[in-house]
Amino acid sequence: MGQASSKSVYRGWRKGRVAAQLLFFLLFVFLFVKTDYTGSDTIEYAVNILFRIDPLLALATMLAVKTVITLMLPALLVVLLSLVAGRSFCGWICPLGGLLDGWRRLFGAAGTQSASRFPSLPKILLVFILVSALFGVPLAGYLDPFSILVRGLSQAVYPGVNEVSVSFFTFTYQHLPETVNRITEPFYAFLQHTVLPFEQKFYQFGLLSLLVLLLVIAAEYVQNRFFCRNICPLGALLGWFSRVGVLAPAGGDEDCRACRRCAQICRMGAIDEQRKIDEAACVLCLDCFEQCPRQIISFQAKVPLSRGAGISLSRRRFLAAASASLVLPSVLGVRTLNVQADPLLIRPPGALAEQEFLNRCVRCGQCMQVCITNGLQPVMLRAGIEGMFTPYLVARTGYCEFNCTLCGQVCPTGAINVLDMARKHTFKIGHAWFDKNRCLPYAKAIPCIVCEEHCPTPEKAIKFRNVEVLGEQGARRQVRQPYVDDALCIGCGICETKCPLPDHSAIFITSAGEHRHPDSRLPAVQEPFLYGG
Amino acid sequence: MNRRRFLKQVALYSGGLSLSLPLLRVPECLALNESVPEVARVTGSDYGALVRQTVDLLGSMSRFVKPGDKVVVKPNIGWDRKPEQGANTHPQVVSALVEMALEAGAKEVMIFDYTCNEKRRCYNNSGMTEAIKSIGSKQAKLVHIDQRKFVPVEIARGRSLKQWDIYKDALTADTYINVPVAKHHGLSRLSLGLKNSMGVIGGRRGALHHDLGQNLADLATVISPRLTIIDATRILTDNGPQGGSLKDVKVLDTLIGSVDPVAADAVATTLFGLKPEDIAATVAAHQMGLGQIDPARMNLLSGSG
Repeated sequence: MGQASSKSVYRGWRKGRVAAQLLFFLLFVFLFVKTDYTGSDTIEYAVNILFRIDPLLALATMLAVKTVITLMLPALLVVLLSLVAGRSFCGWICPLGGLLDGWRRLFGAAGTQSASRFPSLPKILLVFILVSALFGVPLAGYLDPFSILVRGLSQAVYPGVNEVSVSFFTFTYQHLPETVNRITEPFYAFLQHTVLPFEQKFYQFGLLSLLVLLLVIAAEYVQNRFFCRNICPLGALLGWFSRVGVLAPAGGDEDCRACRRCAQICRMGAIDEQRKIDEAACVLCLDCFEQCPRQIISFQAKVPLSRGAGISLSRRRFLAAASASLVLPSVLGVRTLNVQADPLLIRPPGALAEQEFLNRCVRCGQCMQVCITNGLQPVMLRAGIEGMFTPYLVARTGYCEFNCTLCGQVCPTGAINVLDMARKHTFKIGHAWFDKNRCLPYAKAIPCIVCEEHCPTPEKAIKFRNVEVLGEQGARRQVRQPYVDDALCIGCGICETKCPLPDHSAIFITSAGEHRHPDSRLPAVQEPFLYGG
Repeated sequence: MNRRRFLKQVALYSGGLSLSLPLLRVPECLALNESVPEVARVTGSDYGALVRQTVDLLGSMSRFVKPGDKVVVKPNIGWDRKPEQGANTHPQVVSALVEMALEAGAKEVMIFDYTCNEKRRCYNNSGMTEAIKSIGSKQAKLVHIDQRKFVPVEIARGRSLKQWDIYKDALTADTYINVPVAKHHGLSRLSLGLKNSMGVIGGRRGALHHDLGQNLADLATVISPRLTIIDATRILTDNGPQGGSLKDVKVLDTLIGSVDPVAADAVATTLFGLKPEDIAATVAAHQMGLGQIDPARMNLLSGSG
């Protein structure tokens, strides 16, 4: 094969790889933007497919719950891909990888450094995550590349971009002349119909999610694909499949003499001093194929399960990582939240019982992104350190919409069950309580029914008693005082959202009575029953 | 743009609005109280025909809409409920009105409501999206509330409210047509035409509930529909204003129309077996000279479609 012709072939392949990365990234953005209510009760497609093809999340989640999760079986496709074509997923498909490569190309970054800083770390983290999952401490969502990417985008970047747009177009609308508005308003409408979210969303700790994503990007300035080669446990898993699979990239040989070009340009540090390519690290970017002066780098087939080049985790390290992950469950088991869960931890409708919910939740934030009222927010420490970034309802921010079942539909792991409408209408996620010291008809004899007005159950769960009270001057007044009908309240929280008091709501939701925990049943009110004497 | 300049501009703007709109209306309104308003009450199961007949009894649409007018049709689309549940104005009633306004030469008909549930869900589930789309005219625009368009408006004649944020398009329309649904409400007893105005105001709406009747009457001094058509094709008799159970829905197949917003509410109240005086907002609005409350002093026009 002539040198010139083979060079052009590899250049085409490399360009194909860049095109694939761009395409998959755009597909990702498209799905991301589409992860919203679109006018139908069922969502057509959402970015959750990304989490369902993720073998790390699939394996960790299935180990944690010790069952096969059908929703996550598409992950086998990526396993198959890795067995046949190595870590091409990382080099060609992964949207975070694509973002990092694109970032380097657009904004420049540090020069390639051939040796990875912490080549064993991803493997150690992988073992740690999987063993922890097995013992009921779910950590995969903290380091999974998609979780990091989607969380950062959905809770900080996307709402942030919208915030800036709203401010800008509010300024043009309110302060610039009609002639300018004739251009800016249609443009704003176009943006709203295409890329901008329908409503401005607000998130607790959005900054933290952003920070994690920014750290991953900033690490590019230390080393190319720093995250992918030094941290990413998904990459480590795919690398393992790649190693036992059939593809073996063949590197240079003695005849290369002093040339180390391939090792120098490798974005993954996958090529060693002897120009051997570690198939557990190579992401098939094809840079070296194209740039090798001798054009001798190629792919070969190897016998499956045979070991190629590269370092595997030593037995000592493997055991250390595995046993370290055994310490956590014992310590986590003795926290007070195991005795009494935080009463304000209101999980989305259809969420599994807490331990199984935590085991399944991969912290992707899809439920929060799709929540049309902005009520679902990421938890910080309310559910323990292993519960960070899981969703809970902050009813003062937004309530659970009566006819909406989207969070369950986008959950990639079944941590939130899909509810049909009839079930959703009676699914109790918590319970409403009045603060009679603040509620206007109680505290100030002022008539107010906003909670009752918004209560969505067909027979309202908030009812009134006509009560004669003494007004401030001692005059008797008739007031309708609201109370909660325990049998009807589903804890949706719209009463708390809409309560007209300016600060704390005078009605609030706690997790009492939630259906997912039978033991949290409210005290049954039977005829002559005096609760608490 | 600093805050002071911003506030000044907002004040000037709203001042202009409050000067131009309500002051012009004062003599008219007072006249309404004295005069004998016409109130149409029509029953029939073809809602399109029902709307036409109701409007025709009051003259015709050309009495309210002039060619080239910008028209606002304001239904109640506040809740994520289906048409048969009676929580929102029936979509066929709204689309028939919009069609008639377009036939009368309206340049544009805007339809909107500041919803209580999520806005897209309300527009879709209420059947409004589909109904307006089926008109097939680009001039009929079902739009979502745009927060930028709320302007603080001085309520010069207000007894309880002195200023509130009101939706600009509702104030600047050439013709504003109010199309509420008649339904039960836990505080005001009924939600009718005056209550429907809460769908064009911003701010913390819940805070208005403390003296709701007077507040609604105060709002009526600045939000003045040229025509009120009350949708009583279905009325919610309990668990309003959003209902949810068909047990609480009574099918009456009736519309009530009037140019007098108070008179329309007063007559609609009788459909529930209540007296006009039972509704605080109707009483307050009448006392402020905004319309007739006594059915004996109305010219009742009835028909059946």
